Order: sequence, then C-alpha cells, then structure tokens
Amino acid sequence: MRNVFVAGAAVAPFGKYKDSTPAELGGTSALELMQSVGVSPDRVDTGFVGSVYGGSLIAQRVLQRVGISGQPIFSVENACASGGSAVNLAFQAIASGIADSAIVVGVDQLSTFGGGALPLTTADVETAQGVIMPATYAMRAQRYLHQAGAEPMVLDRISVKNRGNGAHNPRAHFQKSITLDDVAQSRRVADPLKLLHCCPNSDGAAALFLCSEDFGRDLAVDLVRVRASVVRSGQFHTSYRDMTWPDITERTARAAYEMAGITAADLDVVELHDAFAIAELLHAEALGLTERWKAHVAVTAGEFDRDGRVAVSPSGGLLSRGHPVGASGVSQLCEMYWQITGTAGDLQVPGASVALTHTTGGGIFGVDNGACSVHVLAAD
Amino acid sequence: MTTVQQTKRKLLSEDWYRHTASGVELLVSDCNTCGHRWFPPRSACSSCASEDLTRTHTGARGIAYASSKVHVGGAPWPKEYVLSYIDIDGVRVLMHTNSDQALTPDTPVTIALGHIGTDNATELWSYIAHPVGKDIESPEATS
Repeated sequence: MRNVFVAGAAVAPFGKYKDSTPAELGGTSALELMQSVGVSPDRVDTGFVGSVYGGSLIAQRVLQRVGISGQPIFSVENACASGGSAVNLAFQAIASGIADSAIVVGVDQLSTFGGGALPLTTADVETAQGVIMPATYAMRAQRYLHQAGAEPMVLDRISVKNRGNGAHNPRAHFQKSITLDDVAQSRRVADPLKLLHCCPNSDGAAALFLCSEDFGRDLAVDLVRVRASVVRSGQFHTSYRDMTWPDITERTARAAYEMAGITAADLDVVELHDAFAIAELLHAEALGLTERWKAHVAVTAGEFDRDGRVAVSPSGGLLSRGHPVGASGVSQLCEMYWQITGTAGDLQVPGASVALTHTTGGGIFGVDNGACSVHVLAAD
Repeated sequence: MTTVQQTKRKLLSEDWYRHTASGVELLVSDCNTCGHRWFPPRSACSSCASEDLTRTHTGARGIAYASSKVHVGGAPWPKEYVLSYIDIDGVRVLMHTNSDQALTPDTPVTIALGHIGTDNATELWSYIAHPVGKDIESPEATS
C-alpha cells in the first residue's frame, strides 16, 4: 500500500446560502482548492463528492465547474459520514496505485429544508414512530448522565467550549462565544437537550486534495501524510444496545490506530462528531481519549480545551462550525491539515503533529450509526 | 339532517403486535440457528441469514432504558411528546409514552395501543408505553 498525502484544503465559510445551489457551493470550494494546490484539471485522476441531499450526480455537477470531467467521478452518500467516506475512497484509490491524485469535495445545503430537525430516512421503523435525531441523542444523554452520575451542566460546558473555539474561526457558521447562562436559557428541544446543545443546519462545502508521494513532490505546497483512513458500518441488531457506548466509533478508531501505528495517547488534536453536546462525551470515551464514564470529568477539568491535554474541536466543532452534513467530514480534515502545517492561525494548537478526525452517520434503527469514518493525519 | 363526522383511525405497524387481556404483546422472530431475536419480525435472520425462524411474542411489560420529552414535534406528531426506548423480553423498541415528562431510566411500563399522532383528519395509533400504575385506555373502549 502506498503512502497517501494531503496536498491542499479549502472550506467555503459555512452558513445560510439560500440563493445558491449545492453544485455552486461545492464548485466554489473545488476552485479555491485547485488554485491553492496549483494543479490543472487534467492532472486530477479521479474525484469523489460526499453529499446527502445534493441529488443525483452531484459529483459530476460539482466537478464539471472546475474542468474535471471525463475522469472516473463518484457521488458518495453515507449520511453524516458521506464526506469522510469520500475521503476514504480517494485514499484507497491512491494507496492501491489506481490513481496518483484525487479531489474530494463534501457539500450540502440544508437551508432548503427550513428550520427544525433534519428529515430522516423514510420507511424506517423508528422514523415511523416519530423519532428525530435530537430525540435519539437526548435519550443517549439521559442514559449517560444517569449511569455516569454526571451533572447535566457538563453539556452546557461543552457548548460553551466549542462555541468559544468557533469564535476564532472565520469559516464557522457561529463566530460568537456563549455563556453557561445562554445555554441554560435556550429553548428546550428534546430533554435534556436545549437549542444551544445542538449544531445548526448549515450550508457549505469543503474540498481536499490527495496525492501520492511522487505526485506531491512537484507541488509547491506542504504535504501531510494520511496515516490512517478507515470506514466501518454499524452492526445491526434489535436487542439491548448500550446507547452510551458507540461501538461503531470504538471499532473504527481501533482499526485506525492500528493502521497508523499509534495510540489515542499520541493525539494532539481531535475533531469529532459533536452534532449534539452529548456526542463529545460518548465519542471521546469510545475514541479512547479518556476512560469510560470519565469524559464529563475531563471536560470539566479543561482537558479537552484548546490548550488542554488533547484539544477537542479547536475549530469549534459541528456545534460552532455548523453541519452541512456531507461537508462536515471533509471540513474536519481541512482544519487538521492546517493544524499540522502550522497554518491554523488563531485556531492553532501549539505543536500539533498528530491529528484525528471522526464522523458518524446515523438515522436508521438497529445500529448506533450507519457509518463511521476516522482519519489520522501526521506531520511525518 | 345532521351529519356526524367520524374520526378516521389508522393502525401503524399492526402486523407487529397483538392484543391480549394483559395488553399489547409485540410479535418477534427467534432464529433457531443463532438464537438472535428480532423486532419487527422477519423472514430471514439478520445475523446469520437463516430462514429457520420461529414467530413468537413478547409479554406486555417492559422497562424504560432511556426517555425524552420532545419539544419540536411537527406534523403528524403532537407539539410535545415523550419517546422512550423500552426493553421488553430481549428486544428494545422505541415507542411513544403516556407521560407528561421523560421517564426515569428503569421505570417499569406496560404496553398498550394508543394515539400517537394525527395525519390530517386521521388518527395514527400504535403500540405505546404506560408507566406502571398509570391508567391505560382500553383499545376496545376507544376504537
């Protein structure tokens, strides 16, 4: 298997762009990426576009805008892990030697749905009974707080931390700090979750350029090695699932650590799938960032702060950056590329050299989540 | 002449449960090859792909694993409603819950038929959890 490198990243600021289209949003990121990497369209061997609501042939519609047509192009849908899954397919293409270069774009435009919870898959047992994603995470939160003996205020602290980080991120949907009181007074969504415990539905796109070592040698950009790229699916059953332990995250992370030859203790910085505040606790434990039932203690002690033991979501996370679902996984990798190359500006985690990104895609019954992607980037 | 408007009722997932004197029992499939139990019932095991399954049923009592009061319901659901995951004889099932607040984990419940939403003029009914001790509306009395 050949080494694979990230050679460039671009994120169009996330927010509400009702007058745009997914193809336009994706095309904007792709153009910025191509210009920053300094490659012409004919030098791109293959392309992958992750999107959930972008529609049929979104990959072609995005990449045609920057002259990439004729090559093998693929649209990838894996719920919120669509972008991470698209990166994984590009990684496989280069690692196997099938391609020397690949462009990956993640894009979605959720403002077209109006406000409220995202529509879930139809013809699903639980959707038919009235479930929405905030309710699923709320029940995970209730059970976690119950079993861990944690104070509900820890959820408020996570929102304050990540929104505080996002206040320094010019690409974030929300660029303003909030207080514990703001969270406590925000309206109830699904007990115990309030509005400021939830990420916003956003519009946005992100793009990443991957290449082999030989291809990258000719580029006038920093290269960051992808030490691991892993995707796993949820294990389906209808018996008693421990909803406080996302086993899909644990399985995916374990495979990624093995591929990268590292342990969780080696990580300097992590961007995880904090679509709701409780998710930071659940996934931090499943990723091995802290012991079981201790993530709430770590948050309260500041261990996940930007200057803490391991920085979790220094970009602001989904809670601050927003969650245009197909774009989220790609944008996490963009943020980590800038961290490893020391170009993250006000978001920079000093000395960051090993980074992990994590996304999960859910919304169907019988699994923790339908898909999970974990990537490890390193400076070597 | 006065016309009396009848409220229409639609039973959701009615092939997945049955009425008994003690309440509503959920129909499940037991795999005779690997032992997995499935709800909703299925024709092939989703663990080992065996088609050697036995159709059976749970009891009508369970335990709340987790619960939440949802405040952002949209049609066809009520403005506010309580959802719970109920553990019942080997399967965990999401259901609406007859309560004003989220149930505390491990609350015992009974399962009955209940009104969970309204789609235009049609009432949607399905299996629903009742905290033990709370009066249950009889399906026969309300149908």
